[in-house]
Amino acid sequence: MAKRSVWSDNRFWQRSAAWITGFASVLLIWLTFDTMAQITIGTDEDLKNGVTKRVPSPTVINYKITYEMSTKRGHEVPIIGGNDGQGMSLFQEKEMFFGRDDWSEEEATELLHLGKLGSQVKNCMNCHTLLGNGAYYAPDLTKAWLDPQWGPNGSMQAMTGKNTKEEAMAEFLQNPSKYPTHARMMPNLGITAEEAKGLVAFLKHMSSIDTNGFPRNFGKIEGAVHGK
Amino acid sequence: MFEPFVDVVPSFFGWLNQGPLTLTIFLHTVIILPMIWIYRQEKKRIEQEEN
Amino acid sequence: MANNHLTGIGSESKQLATWYFTFAAILFGAQLLFGLVAAIQYVMPGFMFEVLDFSVARMLHINALVVWMVFAMFGAVYWLLPDETGIETVGIKIGKLLFWVFAAAIVVVVLVYLFIQVGPADEMSIWFIHEGREYIEAPRWADFGIVVVALGFVANLFLTGMKGKQTGIVTVLMADMIAFAGLYLCGMFFTDNISVDQYWWWWVIHLWVEATWEVYVGALAAYGLITMLGAHRKVVEMWLWIEVTMLFGSGILGMGHHYFWIGTPEYWWEIGALFSALEPLPLVAMFIHVLYDWGKTQGEQDAQGQELSVIRNKPAFTWFVLNAFGNFLGAGIWGFFHTLPQVNLYTHGTQFTSAHGHLAFFGAYATILIGMMYIAIQGTNGIKIMNHTRSSIWSVSLLSGGMMGMTVALTIAGYVQVLVSRAQMGATWAGYFDGQSGMWFAQAMDWRLIMGLVMFAGFALLAKDFLTTGKNPVHQR
Repeated sequence: MAKRSVWSDNRFWQRSAAWITGFASVLLIWLTFDTMAQITIGTDEDLKNGVTKRVPSPTVINYKITYEMSTKRGHEVPIIGGNDGQGMSLFQEKEMFFGRDDWSEEEATELLHLGKLGSQVKNCMNCHTLLGNGAYYAPDLTKAWLDPQWGPNGSMQAMTGKNTKEEAMAEFLQNPSKYPTHARMMPNLGITAEEAKGLVAFLKHMSSIDTNGFPRNFGKIEGAVHGK
Repeated sequence: MFEPFVDVVPSFFGWLNQGPLTLTIFLHTVIILPMIWIYRQEKKRIEQEEN
Repeated sequence: MANNHLTGIGSESKQLATWYFTFAAILFGAQLLFGLVAAIQYVMPGFMFEVLDFSVARMLHINALVVWMVFAMFGAVYWLLPDETGIETVGIKIGKLLFWVFAAAIVVVVLVYLFIQVGPADEMSIWFIHEGREYIEAPRWADFGIVVVALGFVANLFLTGMKGKQTGIVTVLMADMIAFAGLYLCGMFFTDNISVDQYWWWWVIHLWVEATWEVYVGALAAYGLITMLGAHRKVVEMWLWIEVTMLFGSGILGMGHHYFWIGTPEYWWEIGALFSALEPLPLVAMFIHVLYDWGKTQGEQDAQGQELSVIRNKPAFTWFVLNAFGNFLGAGIWGFFHTLPQVNLYTHGTQFTSAHGHLAFFGAYATILIGMMYIAIQGTNGIKIMNHTRSSIWSVSLLSGGMMGMTVALTIAGYVQVLVSRAQMGATWAGYFDGQSGMWFAQAMDWRLIMGLVMFAGFALLAKDFLTTGKNPVHQR
């Protein structure tokens, strides 16, 4: 009888399967603990003390947010409250959000909660992408807050006749089919004024999440397609 | 010899991430190496069964 | 010996399996229908605007997808359990009751999706309308229902496996199905933190489709090779264990490829890139395995001087071979295309993902589950050798041809998005619409719709074949 090889032995593969599955699962759980500690939402104290968090406190809505190249990280990062010149946040420069820049942690958390609920209930993810995940029928919302289109010179802000980004966004969200931006329109989802405020807070907060440089070059290039 | 740490928060896995492939080679190795031990055990068992 | 495998007459477990398959096939039709609505909206944006918007059509499209596959997966387990264990499934009465609970819950959920669509931004909407999280939108009440049904199913499987003969296939299924059911719990909570939200959401989605479902398919392919070809169990089960080793070895940590850009640490780049880069390997192995066993058993037959085909169910086997190839092509190749972070930085969230998603779900899961449905038709009609009919050949050709065409179209659309919207324009609102209005993109969407219609025609023929082939005289009884 020919000598039996371990390589064609069922028990060897069965034990290997059990070991590899078990150990990969243990590693995943370990990595999950490590990651969870890093992506837990930050506190207002962190912002005041200049501690950079991957997911900052909801009170980040009180600050000016930009998306700039970090020399240390080698890609773009959200800059909160001003840039130190190297791509690190200074947490200094504030920005009005619906007329205030002193939203307390409690108020901001409540606003974010409403916005996050709204983002799910209104089914944003089945047209848009959030952090790049979702459907591809409408623009990615990861850094929508920073889109030049909504900025002071952007056509969207002008279209709604509002003077600030957050008011323009809220107005659009409440009456999307009144402001057709493209043949592919956003439907009216019955978003109330309060819900719209929450959604804009949710979008502003999302733009402050450190997404490791995704999307690349956001808002840096204008008109490249037509070679202007 | 070691790369400076660049990610937001220092961590064990981040530290293992020393440029191309270091972290993943380490993880693949610790996952696959014990199969050698399983192999030896099974080989012994098969030899015993054959005798 | 082999014929015992093929008859479903008198087995309650197999009867329940046919219920599951029937409901699954209906939902498959619904999936294609809502997919068509969404595809039309890409070409004609005004189509059913504010009546059945893209978001609703797509939610129904992908939910019908997940649910029909889960139904067919449950059905396939109920079908093969008596063959593998040698006994009737334990607790089949409860299994049958749970089927009706499950089916009724799905109908209610679909009606709410269709007619209520959105609610106010509060917890009540999450509990009773939908959760708005891609693929697992089912409202919270339905989540609990699904957990109960899944637990009942797992209990049936475990009790039967422990009482009857516990083959390698049953062992793998037991371990796999408990993980499959347990992972669903990771998607059942609400958090304000979208990074945490998406982190756990992937535990459900990724660990289903790139780990537990794939292992399930490996077990199903093993069963199919034994029943349809008479392949040697020992060899088939060895391959199955190798596949489990490689699938879980690469798939579990391959999850990292979803953690590149959702706020999670940079070390996931490396973990995700390299583990998921290995994910195609087991799929290649599965493909080789199916063809190897086919050639081997046919060769044995030929050596005996007989020129008969060894395949006892030709339409099912066609779908199984398509599964082996489609899994490798759709999940393996199309997945590898964009799994490295350097590439994914530009392809993430474009039609590229959509192309991969379509071909992978079809190639890896739809194919083998349709194959199982044919095995059930063979069994319930007491057919010894099941042959192709004209509609079975046409349906398999139209469905897979349509899907391949759709995948190519979506891939081209994805290229436009990557180059124009992402690389050139930096992913802004304006960049997005510049990409969408490009001629290549628009034409790709036209082709996608045409290919969707081709698929729908294929489905119609498949349904016709399901309903009529059992009595067709072309089969040997």
